[in-house]
Amino acid sequence: MTPVTFFRRKQQVMLFTLIALLVSYVVASIALGFQQGALLQVQTGFLWMAQNFLPTATSLKLLPAVLFQLWRTFIIATAAAGVAGVISLLLAVIGAKNLGQRHVSISFFIRGFASVLRNIPIIAWALILLFSFKQNELTGFLALWLMNLGFLTRAFLETIEDFDTGKLEALIATGTSRPVAIMQGLLPEIATPVVEWLLYMIENNVRDATLVGLLTGTGIGFLFDLYFKSINYPAAGLVVVVLIVLVISLELLSTHIQRSLT
Amino acid sequence: MLTVTALSKRYTPDKPSLQDVSLVADAGTITAVIGPSGAGKTTLLRSLNQLLKDDEGTVQLDDVDLRQLSKRELQKARRDIGMIFQNYNLIDALTVLENVLHGCLGAKSTIAGMLAHYTAEEKQAAMALISEMGLSDFAYTACKHLSGGQKQRVGIARALMQHPKMLLCDEPIASLDPKSAKLVMDILRRLADEKDLIVVVNLHQVDIATDYADHIVALNHGRKVFDGTPAELNDAQIQAIYA
Amino acid sequence: MIDSVTLSQEPTQKAPHPVDRRARTLQAFVIGLAVISIYGLISVIPAHFDLWAATKVFIANLQLMFFSPNVGNDSHGLLFQALLASIELAFVTTVLGAGLGLVCGLAAAQNIAPSWLCLTTKSVMAFVRAIPTILWVLIYSVALGLGPNAAVVGLTFHSVAYLAKVFANTIEEIPAQTIEALRAGGCGLLPVLCQAVLPSLASRLLSWTFIRFEINFANAVVVGAAAGAGGIGYQLFVASNFYFNFHEVGMIVYYILAFVFVLEVISTKLRHKFID
Repeated sequence: MTPVTFFRRKQQVMLFTLIALLVSYVVASIALGFQQGALLQVQTGFLWMAQNFLPTATSLKLLPAVLFQLWRTFIIATAAAGVAGVISLLLAVIGAKNLGQRHVSISFFIRGFASVLRNIPIIAWALILLFSFKQNELTGFLALWLMNLGFLTRAFLETIEDFDTGKLEALIATGTSRPVAIMQGLLPEIATPVVEWLLYMIENNVRDATLVGLLTGTGIGFLFDLYFKSINYPAAGLVVVVLIVLVISLELLSTHIQRSLT
Repeated sequence: MLTVTALSKRYTPDKPSLQDVSLVADAGTITAVIGPSGAGKTTLLRSLNQLLKDDEGTVQLDDVDLRQLSKRELQKARRDIGMIFQNYNLIDALTVLENVLHGCLGAKSTIAGMLAHYTAEEKQAAMALISEMGLSDFAYTACKHLSGGQKQRVGIARALMQHPKMLLCDEPIASLDPKSAKLVMDILRRLADEKDLIVVVNLHQVDIATDYADHIVALNHGRKVFDGTPAELNDAQIQAIYA
Repeated sequence: MIDSVTLSQEPTQKAPHPVDRRARTLQAFVIGLAVISIYGLISVIPAHFDLWAATKVFIANLQLMFFSPNVGNDSHGLLFQALLASIELAFVTTVLGAGLGLVCGLAAAQNIAPSWLCLTTKSVMAFVRAIPTILWVLIYSVALGLGPNAAVVGLTFHSVAYLAKVFANTIEEIPAQTIEALRAGGCGLLPVLCQAVLPSLASRLLSWTFIRFEINFANAVVVGAAAGAGGIGYQLFVASNFYFNFHEVGMIVYYILAFVFVLEVISTKLRHKFID
């Protein structure tokens, strides 16, 4: 190889990748019926929001109702993550390969269970649950909970499997029983990533709760849908504003907590 | 010739980290800067190419005071000054050849630099430097696979690619094993002699400084406490420098 | 610029304090989460609700779905086409998101961009992220008309904001000295970006983009269902809400799972190779 051929080959690979990407993009856009010009109309969305979404005096009268639903959304989002978190942690401790799980099949089963739960779209959960649990908050809670259970179990499994088991062995060598060693040796070590995953889940749940609410007719998502479809845009705008406030406050809170933990 | 006069630099008003430092370094010589850690060695070196702005004094490279230059003029003047670092600062994902060629990016137009468009002469020069450093077998190897000593030689080749008048070396051998360290210092000695470069090296090993340097400057608490030849440096003075 | 040598001279005697703060934060977080979870769990169950009966129906429905899936009123060809449409939507929005996200990510990285630009970009991105994807799509459905244009623009918004954030974090991890080494040789900002920043990070940026592709696929399904934008999500919505056909819902879920599992295998490999 000479410098000339080296750079020529590198450029060829780069060019080929770029062309392949561009061609796939164009093909996918045509198949989808997407017109590139729409990208230049991004500002219309913002303008439209500025014109229609500004809350008016009449819409502000709805504020107590909106705030109540926002509160419920927050509670459900947090509770789903909290309840799923406890169970996931237990499943992860049982299923982790490095904590002395001798039956490979149990490990495999927990992993597969988590993967299926996590990968079934949350709207599928919401639609299926709607039949048996009807139109209420419980349906939304369960949809979030099932998805969280899958997501957190997998996240915790990976966290635990990164853990250096030498520290556990050191405790067990002193005559500590395995469950106690896990409580005292493992949990303090993985506390920070576990909290980070839970915070991420709660933030994500608030966004997903809006979506689930749209489909199941509950909570803040339902309110937005109701106002939006009845062309009461100022009220829908009010819902968006309070949602933004909630999501950004949660983001700030979680940054603060993460900073205190390191 | 590098002439530094009355250079001062403070971090906080009552904690000067350089105070009234003057020195002269000739082409074809190695100047070693020694002193305990925190004495201001790194600060001094970074002042020499104005990566750090000083408060007072002059830094003259061949009659041009670097401190008086505009931002654009300074960027141009820095092409004459090569720099090598303790932790090499190479782009690990790229090959040795590409890292060496980075040395001539400063002399290129923005567009040519962005596209990594190097001329045939530049590629030849880079390959020549790579073989001069004994790295011919590794020209197309990504730098992450190299040892510390090899990385430092890539760093030197990159600096030479600039065709510098002066080479600034910030603790170049602090992370190396003794054998690689000797190899790197031998290369610096050869460069000073053969290419007539001004070489300024920060070192924390006094024995290496006395072995290789023509001229030693010692700093302590931001002040110059010794300036002379290795022969003039005696044990009592070393004791005083590190006190 | 800070001289690390000078800084390291400072004695660090405040060691016991942060440990204390960590323990207190952990305690507060666990107690807070427990209280909200218990209250949430109790308050979410409606009065006079027969939980057991509902669960039995749910499990029966799951059995219908997973053990006897069929294509219902549609055909495999139609479902496959619908899946393809969702994949296309995810692909187009990921490509757009990565391109624009890289520009915004550079503008939001503290070690590259001036602080005013960095702060502005970060704030705008936080605002965009705060509005759920589905709402962006609904808003653009009104502003641009329902259809693929609104779906692409709406989904792209979130992708850009997400990737800008993770790209900026990745870029900020480059040691300042690596950039400084080239700047010291008189090299301008743009060549440094192309020759140093991007090659060092390419593999990690690509892994993040792939993760976003997975998220975008999930979003594409969602948007199809909740905003009627077509694709496999729309089929799912129709099968469950109009035909009440659990067998078809099951088949559609299998279609989605099959594709997602392929993605998961690839992304696990990428993650182990590049991000950790």
